[in-house]
Amino acid sequence: MMNARNTYTVSGLIITAVLLFGFTRPNGNESKEEKKSESMPLYGNWKTYGKKDGLPSDKIYAVRADGDRLWVGTNQGLALLEDGVWTVYTEEDGLAHRGVLAIDVSPVTGDVWIATMSGLNRFSGGKFETFTQFNSGLANDVIYSVICDGKDVWVATGGGAGVLDTYTGKWGIYTEQNAPMHEPWTYSICAGGNKIFIAAWGGGVIEWNKETQRFRDYTDPDGEMEIDLFPDDGVVHDITTAVSYSNDMLWVATYFGMSTYDGTHWKGYFDHDSGLASNFINFIRAKDGIAFMCTDNGLSSFNGETWVTYKGGKVIIDGNSAGERSLDATSSISHDFTIGVDLTENEIWVATSKGLCRGEVIGSTETKTSKL
Amino acid sequence: MRKNRLYILVIIAFVIGVGYSAFHKWSVDHVLYITGGVDHPIGCVSCHVYPERDGLLANMLNEDYLSPLNAAVSEDGSRLYVIAQDADLLIEVDLNSREVLSNTKVGRRPHSAILTRDQKTAVVTNQWANNIYFIDLKTKEITDSVPVGGGPAGMDLSVDGNLLYVANTYTNNISVVDLRTKQEIRRLHGGNYPTSVAASPNDDFVFVASQRTVPIEFRTEPMTEVTILNASSQRVSERKYFNSAHIMENVTVSPSGDMAVATMVRPKNNVPSAQIERGWMINHGIGVILKDGRTAQLLLDEPNAFYPDPYDIVIHPDGKRAYVSHSGVDMVSVVNLDRIRSLLADASEEELKLYANHLGMSGEFVVDRIKTGSNPKGLAMSADGKFVYVVERMEDRVSVIDTDVSEIVNTIDLGGPSRISYTRRGGQLFSNAGHTFHNQYSCYTCHPDGHEDGLTYDLTGSGRNLANVQTLRDLYGTAPFKWIGTNQSVYKQCGMRFSRFVTRTESFSPEDLDAVVAYIMRELTHPPNIHRLPNGALTEAQQRGKAIYERTVTNDGREIPEKDRCTTCHNGPNYSNFQMADVGTNKENEDESLFDSPNLNNIYESAPYLHDGSAATLEEIWTKFNDHDTHGYANDMTKDQLNDLVEYLKSLSAERYYKKDLNYKINKGQL
Repeated sequence: MMNARNTYTVSGLIITAVLLFGFTRPNGNESKEEKKSESMPLYGNWKTYGKKDGLPSDKIYAVRADGDRLWVGTNQGLALLEDGVWTVYTEEDGLAHRGVLAIDVSPVTGDVWIATMSGLNRFSGGKFETFTQFNSGLANDVIYSVICDGKDVWVATGGGAGVLDTYTGKWGIYTEQNAPMHEPWTYSICAGGNKIFIAAWGGGVIEWNKETQRFRDYTDPDGEMEIDLFPDDGVVHDITTAVSYSNDMLWVATYFGMSTYDGTHWKGYFDHDSGLASNFINFIRAKDGIAFMCTDNGLSSFNGETWVTYKGGKVIIDGNSAGERSLDATSSISHDFTIGVDLTENEIWVATSKGLCRGEVIGSTETKTSKL
Repeated sequence: MRKNRLYILVIIAFVIGVGYSAFHKWSVDHVLYITGGVDHPIGCVSCHVYPERDGLLANMLNEDYLSPLNAAVSEDGSRLYVIAQDADLLIEVDLNSREVLSNTKVGRRPHSAILTRDQKTAVVTNQWANNIYFIDLKTKEITDSVPVGGGPAGMDLSVDGNLLYVANTYTNNISVVDLRTKQEIRRLHGGNYPTSVAASPNDDFVFVASQRTVPIEFRTEPMTEVTILNASSQRVSERKYFNSAHIMENVTVSPSGDMAVATMVRPKNNVPSAQIERGWMINHGIGVILKDGRTAQLLLDEPNAFYPDPYDIVIHPDGKRAYVSHSGVDMVSVVNLDRIRSLLADASEEELKLYANHLGMSGEFVVDRIKTGSNPKGLAMSADGKFVYVVERMEDRVSVIDTDVSEIVNTIDLGGPSRISYTRRGGQLFSNAGHTFHNQYSCYTCHPDGHEDGLTYDLTGSGRNLANVQTLRDLYGTAPFKWIGTNQSVYKQCGMRFSRFVTRTESFSPEDLDAVVAYIMRELTHPPNIHRLPNGALTEAQQRGKAIYERTVTNDGREIPEKDRCTTCHNGPNYSNFQMADVGTNKENEDESLFDSPNLNNIYESAPYLHDGSAATLEEIWTKFNDHDTHGYANDMTKDQLNDLVEYLKSLSAERYYKKDLNYKINKGQL
C-alpha cells in the first residue's frame, strides 16, 4: 500500500526527470548580471613558508593582507610578516587563544580583529584587547569568521552571529531565536550591497538588510538532499561554509558544491560539471569579480567563465571556450588541503595544512606564460 | 477663674517643657546618629536646607557660578577665550584691559576651546551634549555643530590646521574631524576615559592621554594609556602604558617635539592606607614619553609636602620650562625641562623605576612654585611665552603669571558672583588637599569630577578588605554609605571616618563639614546617560532587558523566589532598596560582611563592579561571580538575554535627566 509520503516522492521523481531531460541547463553565460574579468590571472613561482621560516606552525588557518603587512593565523598563534620579518604572538602577548581562525583589518582604523578558538581580539597600537562571552556581549568564544564593516565588527561564532558597534560598545546577537537560522552555529560572514550575509550551518545563507533592518534566508529548495536535484534553483546546500561578496555577486561555499547569487538568479557549480577542484569547500574569497575557493583538494579560482585550479602540482585551466588543459608547474602550493586565501595586487597567499604558500602573478589565461 | 487660667498656663508650660525636652533629646539623638556619635554642633539647616537643590531657600542660599575650566589664548595675545563649565559659556576676555568682552552660550557642560589656525573660529567641546561647536569669533554665532563620540573633552589641531583630534571621554575613543568639510572622518579606539590631545609640532604623532586605568587583573597595579596616533595615517600607532599611574588629565608636546609630557597621579591603592605617613598613599607628577620611545615618571612632590591633582601642563616656546597647575593645592610648579632631559638621557631602566617613586627628585627639576587662587585648572601660554594664564575654577577668575619673574602679576575677574555660598565653600574644600596629611590628596583625587577613579583601595589597613571607590554623584537620598553600609550619612562618611582612615589629620571643622556635605549632595550629578535615547525611550534590546529585570518566572516557567529577583533589591528611582544583602561575593580572605545594595543610575560608567572591583564588566557579575544564583536568579538566561539585561542596566538613569532636558540649568536645582 502506497502512503501519502511515498506518493509525494514518486511525484517528485517524475518532475525531476522532466526537468532533467526536458530542459537544457543554462550555461554560465546566460546568468543575468554575472560580472566577468577579461582573463584570469595565473599564479606561479610558488614559495612555501612554515615553521622553519619563523611561523609558529605549519598548520595555517587564515591569512589576511594588510598593505605592506601580512597577518597569518595558525594553530599555534598569530604571525605578522612585516619588512621581511616574522613576529609571532601567542597567549603570552595577549592573544585570546593560539588557534587563530580568521583575521580582518578595519580599513578605517587599521585595527586588526582576530577570531580565535577562545575569544575575539582587537589588536591596535601594538596591544591586544580580548572580548569573550564572559566579559562582553560576544555570543560565543569559538569564532570562525570576523569582518569589519564601517564601525561595526561582525563575527560568526558557534553560538550565533554577533555584531559589535565599536562606537557604543553595544553587542547584538543573532541566533535561531531572532533570525531565520536553523541553529546558532554560524561559519562565515561577509558584507556587500548594503547587506550582511551569514553562512549558517544547516540554514543556508542568512541576509541582513542594513537599510530595512530585517533578515531573510536563502535555503536549498532541495532540502537536506546531498545532491542538487533542481539545478540553479537556489543555494546548493543548507550546510554553508563560507560567503564572499564582490562586484554585486554573492559567492557561497558549501561542503557539497558552490553557488553564486546575483540578486536575482542562483547558479550552482560542482566538481563533476565545472572546474571546481572539489565540492568540499572550506573557504571562499572574491575580489574584483574573481572568486578563490579553498577546497580539500586544491585551490580553484573562477571569474564566471574560466576556471583555474591549482592542485597536485598542476595548474588546470578549464574555460568554456578553451576547454580543459593542464600545465605542469615547476612549483606549486605545498598541500592540496587549503583553508584560507588572500590577495594583493600581484601576489596570492594560500593557507594550507602544510604551510603558507605565496604565488606571484606570472601571466593570465589569455597571455599564458612559459614560467609555470 | 483666675486660678483656672493659672492651671492652664502651668499645664501649657509643662507640655511645652516636656515637648521641648523630648524634641531636644530626639534631635540630639538624631544628630548623633547622623554624625556617627561625634559631638557636632550640627543644625537642622545643615541637612535640610544647604544640600537642597530646589526651592526658594535653596535659590537664596546658592549662586550660579561660572566655574571656568580651560582657556585658549589668541595668537596675537590680545584675547583669551575661557570655558565656563557650570554656566555653559565661552567667555571672551580682552587681555589688554582685562575686561570681559562677551559671553557666548555654548552647549551643555563645555570642556575645552581651541582656535583655528586663521584665528577666526573657536571650536568648543560640549561634554554633555556629545558634540563640538564652531563659533565665529567676529559675530559670536554658532556656525556649525558636529556630533562626535560621548563626552568630548580635550582636542588639538593637526599641524596644517585641517584636522581636529577630539578625545571622547565617555565612549573611550578619539574623533578625527576634517575642518574643511566639518565631518568626522574616523573614530579611533582610545584608552579609558581619554581627556586630552596634543599634536606634535613635527607632524609625526598625536598623543592622547587618559584618566582611568585600562582594565586590569584583580589586585594588580593600574596601567593608564597614552594613545599615540600616526599623524599622516590618523591611525593608532602605539599604546604607551604608564604603570601604577592614572588620571593623566592633560598632555602636551615640547616645541621641538623631543618629548610629550602628561600630568599624572600615582596611587598606591593596593598598599594599606596605614602607609600614608610614609608618603605611600598617592603621589603626583608627570609622565614623559621621549623621542626614542622610552617612558619615565617623575614626581613633583617633596618628602613632606605634596602637590596633588596636577591638572594642566604647558611648555614655554623656548622648550626649557614647563608649567603645571596643581588644582589640589592652589599652586603652579615651574619645571626645568633641560634638567629633565639630562636626567633621562642616560638613565637606565633601574634608575627610571627609582625616579618614579623618588620624593626627593623634584628638587632637581622643580625651580619654582607659584601660589594661585582656589583650584587652578587649565593653563594657556601666550605665543611669545611672556604670560601663562591660570584658570582658577573655584574663584571664577584667571590669574596671569609673568614668566620672566615667575609671579602672578594680574588677575582677571570673569564676572561670577562675589558671594561665596556654603556649597561653593564646600567645592573649594572638596578640591583642596589642605585637610590631608602633608596635603597628600584631596577628595577630588579619588573622586575626579565628583565620580570615582575606577580603583580599589585598602583603606582599613588590614590588607584584607578592598573597597571599590564609589561615585559621589547624586548621593541625595541614597544612604547608607560605604559598601558595608556602616555610614548612615555623608556627615559620618566625611567626618570622623575621613580623618581616621583617609586623611590622618584632624577632622573638618563643623562649618567646613557642613559645606563639604552640601557641595557633595547638591552639586555632584551624573552626566546624561549616553546609552539612553534622547527622548528617554528604551531601545528594543533595552525593553527586552527590562522585561528580564522585572521577571518573576524563570525561562521554563517556574516562579523566582522574591529574594532572587532583580527588583527586590534594586528598585525605586535609584534602583536600590538601600538594604544590606549577601549576594555571594564575599571572598574567602575577607571579613565576612553583608553589602549595601548600590544604586544603579549611570552604572555603566562605574566599572569595575562589586564591592572589591573584582568584576571587570557588568557581564562578569553574572558570568563569573554568580555560580549559585545568589546575585539574582540568572543562570537560566541565554547569552542574548544577558546581553539585553546588560543593555537595560546601562540605560538606567533618573528620569529628571531626560524629562526636563530642555529646561536644564546647572545650579538651578532642576536636577
